[in-house]
Formats: sequence, structure tokens, C-alpha cells
Amino acid sequence: MDPRNVQTIARKEFYHLIRDFRSLYLAFMIPLLLILLFGYALSLDVDDVAIVVVDHDRSPLSRDFIRKLDASPYFVISRQLPDTASVTKYLNRSRASLGLIIPPDWTEKIKAGLQSPLQILLDGSDPNYAGISRGYISIFIERYNRKLRDDFLNRMGMEKFNPPVEGRIRVWFNEDLESRVFIVPGIIAIIIMIVGAMLTSLVVAREYENGTMETILSLPIRASEFLLGKAIPYFFIGLVDVLAAILMGQLLFGVVMKASFWLMILASSIYLSVALSLGLLISVLTKSQLVANQTAILVTYLPSLLLSNFVFPVVNMPSVLQSLTRIVPATYFIDILNGLYLRNLGFVPLWPSYLVLIIMFGVLFGLNLVVLKREGL
Amino acid sequence: MSWLRIRELVRKEFIQLFRDKKNRPLLIIAPFIQLVLFGYVVTTEVRDIRVGLLDQSRTRESRLLEDAFNANKTFRVTYYCNRPEDLDALLLRRQVDLTINIPPDFSSQIRKGNTASVQILADGSMSNMAAIRISHTMTVIEMFNNRLFKELHPQRADFGRVDLRLRTWYNPNLDSRNFYVPGIVAFLVMLLTLLLTSMAIIREKESGTMEQLIVTPLKPFELILGKTIPFIIIAQAQMVMVTAFAVFWFQIPLAGSIALLFVSTCLFLLSTLGIGLFISTISATQQQAMMTTFFFILPFFMLSGFVFPIANMPLAVQWLTYLNPLRYFLIIIRGIFLKGTAIDVLWPQLLALMILGGIVFAGAVFRFKKNLD
Repeated sequence: MDPRNVQTIARKEFYHLIRDFRSLYLAFMIPLLLILLFGYALSLDVDDVAIVVVDHDRSPLSRDFIRKLDASPYFVISRQLPDTASVTKYLNRSRASLGLIIPPDWTEKIKAGLQSPLQILLDGSDPNYAGISRGYISIFIERYNRKLRDDFLNRMGMEKFNPPVEGRIRVWFNEDLESRVFIVPGIIAIIIMIVGAMLTSLVVAREYENGTMETILSLPIRASEFLLGKAIPYFFIGLVDVLAAILMGQLLFGVVMKASFWLMILASSIYLSVALSLGLLISVLTKSQLVANQTAILVTYLPSLLLSNFVFPVVNMPSVLQSLTRIVPATYFIDILNGLYLRNLGFVPLWPSYLVLIIMFGVLFGLNLVVLKREGL
Repeated sequence: MSWLRIRELVRKEFIQLFRDKKNRPLLIIAPFIQLVLFGYVVTTEVRDIRVGLLDQSRTRESRLLEDAFNANKTFRVTYYCNRPEDLDALLLRRQVDLTINIPPDFSSQIRKGNTASVQILADGSMSNMAAIRISHTMTVIEMFNNRLFKELHPQRADFGRVDLRLRTWYNPNLDSRNFYVPGIVAFLVMLLTLLLTSMAIIREKESGTMEQLIVTPLKPFELILGKTIPFIIIAQAQMVMVTAFAVFWFQIPLAGSIALLFVSTCLFLLSTLGIGLFISTISATQQQAMMTTFFFILPFFMLSGFVFPIANMPLAVQWLTYLNPLRYFLIIIRGIFLKGTAIDVLWPQLLALMILGGIVFAGAVFRFKKNLD
């Protein structure tokens, strides 16, 4: 392999990039936009669940209950409504996600020592949101019942009852339970795929469409030189994006990497190489920019987003798709990222993931060579 | 305006689109793959909580607690450990979601009438799921406490208490599919029209055939109609296909009116076709058009409430989402599918789509015409 040939191709590709200023601009803007969106705006966590309340009881106890609910950090009473029909209206228009209806004899039943029903309507359309708020409300009611029991025992002049078991729950790796902490590192995997695979998926196809591939085929260069030359400019763009993402995550959003920075660069470089070879392979095979781009979205972007344990856990998937996740490079990179960012795991516990990525790179690069050789390079 | 000329242009577009064999999978297979992926994959349900357990007490009480977890369908004790370090290692290597450490003095504390504390470590890395796991755990412990309370003090157990009657509307089993599949229907329509419209025009520019179209007697507006009508037809056809698939394969309930779905799709297409036209006026090459399309689609997708609830966003960003046509279309399509809402509830969204689409389309047409001259 002659480094001079690689350099020449790389320079040509670099000129293409510089000349097409917008593509270059977007190669930096899309990652920036993603990081900002995920860091600032997008969260899967639930707080301040909006509740509308109908209080038919209007007793001191029911008012106290509502006040306690409002004071809890998880709920916000957005409105008191006169009747159940208006609750339906609020839920239909998605202006509240919980409706609480206190029946007229609520306090009476509690005072009489009975089970006093309290009706709660939950908008289940967003299962993530509904699932979490359902948990919050059940725990709130249980806590409230405990208080009622203590009041009751107190009234009866009986000794207070200590709950036999208390769960001391501590959360590891993401102590404040912020979705940002796992989404911002994960987004690096998506960015690398977008920049690495989607941009490069166009570069060889463009040569075919413009007819310049003929010229390249007639040049005295090897397939590996051609591939390296094509990939190098994008490799650097990708690396710059990764650095920007690390920096922004840390400075703007306080998502701090726990393990070594250099290990992160190493892992990102390996994964970036996988993405680049995948993009180039798509480009060589499809020979059309439109098809290449669509294929790239389908086989690189979407799987990285969906089949990689990024936000959607693999364990929930049907087994066919679970085995599919094993051939998605992002699965391994997100595993590594999770270790680096959240668990402070170095190279040793995660070496299989590194190895798989390296093997993937080897296979994809080899396939590229085979296809290009068949084309006559 | 001559309908004949428009018809011929539409015909040409269709021939061009389907002649290229590589386009066929793109138009038909790609949407299905995406639908299947989203239908099966996009879920954050907590169905199975893997637990690592360390019982240092080994008494009747500790076993009762263990049973309480085992009896709950969501919990599954996958590892029984002997040392606390093993628990940490399990959590670190992601082999369990939760570890429970029952201390040696567990039952002696309970027998004394004190509160015995159980140490629980939860993997918080996926915070939304961790929150659900934690609330499940707390519920199990609370139920366990209530049982012990009744057992120990039967005479004191009949105090008045709140009985939670929770009813979940619209999606009673909290099935993720019901939420995401209608959403992906909307997303696919947007992706297809945005990309194909801009590409169809750019391709003419790139291959130089735009000049030929301009010298034909086609008027600019006819050209625009001829270029957009094929994609309206394709988008509607795709809508029908994808909806049928969602209803019959994924068993998504379609509670509302199909006619309303059709009308609102047309209104939504006004915006997406307008943006597609706009992209074609600001791009010179297919690569630029694709990147620009992607640049539009990303924020549309993220800031629509598709996966990430709008209510969680900062207020400034929430205002921004009012400019996002997908936001309105998602509310409409989810309303029609899940809630069976009709025009009396959805009119603000429909109106917003109409205004937004009108402005975007008119602006794009204006720019496009200027570009032609």
C-alpha cells in the first residue's frame, strides 16, 4: 500500500467536502442539534404529573389529601373540577394525565373503619409515562394509608406500629434517576453512525452517478488505498463530533465520563471505523445516492437507535429481534459507553465488546475489498 | 391551468419512480421494516425484574419476604449470593436489575417490634425503567408489611383506609404498541413525502432535464402540482397499507373515523410537501437534499411527543413544538386510533395543520417559482 495514493484520494475527498459546504456544515450541525435536544429538551422521566380533581366530599380530610398530593414533588394539581364529565374532557384533550374523583362519602367510610374507594382515572396512551405515574400514585396512597393507620392507632390510644420491614433503596450508576445520564452517552453512538455511515454511503455512489468511477478504476491504485482515502476525511469529522459531544455532555449537562478519556477515544475510533466501512460498503453495492441513503437509514441509523439497548431494552424484544441485536455494532458500542460513562468499567471487563467491534470492522473492510476487486479496482 | 398537462407530468413521475427497480423496495419494503421494528421494539415496559438476593438472616421471616418477591410475577430471583461483594458485581456487570440484601439481624429486629431494614440496590442507568422497578419493589414491601401487620395485630387491622380504584383509559394494558405504532404511521408518511418530493426535483436539476421541463408549455404551478400529486397519491396509498397492517397485524384498535384520518393526512401532507419543495429550492445536489431533509426530520421527530413527552420539555422548547406539523398530526392520529376522538375535540389541531401547511406550502411555491425564473 502506498501512503501517497491514500493521501491523494483523501485530499480529493476532502475537496469534495469543502466545496459542498452545506454537507460539511450539516455533518457538524446534526450532532450538535442532537446533543442539545437530548441534553436540554428530551427526557423520559416523569415529574409533575398533572392531576385534575373532583372533590364530591368537601371535608377537611379530603382537602388535606388534595393538599398533600399537590405538595408531593411528583404531582401537580392543575385544576379542581365540578364533575366527572369534565374530567373526561380534560383527559381526552390530554390536558391532564390523571383524574382523581373523591366520592361523597369518602371521609365517612374512612371514619367508620371501612375501605373507602377513591377513583383514579389514568391516561394510559403513553405507556412509559403512565407506568411511572401509576407507580407514583400507588406509593402515595400506600404512604397515606400508613398515616391513616397511625392516626387510627393514636385515636384508639394504642401503641404506634413500626412497619416490620423498610426497604433502604439506593440507586447506583445514575443516582438522581435522570434519563439524560444514559441518553447523552448513547447519542454518541447514533451520531457516529449518522456521520460515519450515512455521509460515506453517498461518496462512492456519487462517483458512479457522475461517471467518475470509470476514471478511478483506470487509476493505478489499490482498492484498500481507495477505501482508506475515502474514509479518512470522514474519520476526522467523526472524531471531532465525538470530542464535541463528550465536551458538551460534560460542560453543559454535567454528564461526566467516569472511566478513562483515552479509552473512550479508542472505543469511538474502532466503532467509527466500523461505521465508515459499513457506509462505504452500502455505497459500493447500491451505486445510487438515493438508494444508498435510504439503505443507510434502514441498516445503520434505525438499528442503532432501536436495536441497540439504547433506550429500548433488548430483553423486551421478541427472540428473533434479540438475536438481530447481536449483529448491530451499536449494541456493543453502547455497552462500552455504558461502562465508560456510568459504571466506571475499564477495558478488561468489556473486552469482548471491543473484540466484536474489531472483528466487525475486519469483516466489513474485507467485504469492501472483495466487492471493489470485482468491480475491477 | 391544464389538467391534461398535469396528468402527463404525474404519469411521467410515476413511470420514473417505478422504472428504477431499486426504488421499489424503498417504497414498499422500507416502510414495513420500520413499522415492524417500531411495533416490536419500541417499548419501555418493565415485565421482568431480575433480582440478586443475599439472605444473611435465613429465618422464617426472611423467607417470607423472599416469597413475597417470588410470588410477584414481575420479580424473578436469578441469583442467590453468599457475599455482599457478589451482589455489587452482579449489578456492575448488568446481570441483575436489583439486589436485595437481607441483614443478619432481620428477624430479631422484627420480633422485637422494630423496623428491620433491607438494603436494596437498584441499577439506575435507564432511569425511566428504574423508576418503575423501584415502585414495584416498594409496593411488594408495603404489601408484605400489611400482611405481617394483620398477622401480628389482627384486632388493630380494621382501620379505615383508602382503597385505590385505578382505571386506565385508552390503553388499559399500557401496551407500548398502541402508542407507538400510530405514531410511526405518521412518521413514515412524513419521511416519504419529504424525501421523495425534494429528490424528484433535485434529480431533474442534476440531470439537466429541468431545463427541458421549463421550455415545455407547463406553467410553474402546473409543474408544482405535477410534481406533488404523485406523492400525495403514494403517501395516501402508504397510509392505507400501513394502517391496515397496524390494525390487522398489530391489532391496534382503530376507534375513530377513517374519513377523518384521510382528511387530516391531506392537511398534514400540505406541510410536508411544502417543506420538501422548500428543500429542493435550497439544495443543489441530492446529497445536500438528503442531509437537509434529515436535518428537518430529526427535530420534527424528537420534538413531536412521539417518544419524548412534550410536557417534559423546557417551556421555550414547548413553544417551539407548536411550529412542528408532526406534533399536531400525532395528536390527531393517536386521538383517532386510541381515544376515538372526533372533530369536536381535534379541530384545533386540524386548524393548526391547515394554517401551518398553507403558509409553508405557499411560501415554498413562491420560492420555487422565483427559482424557476
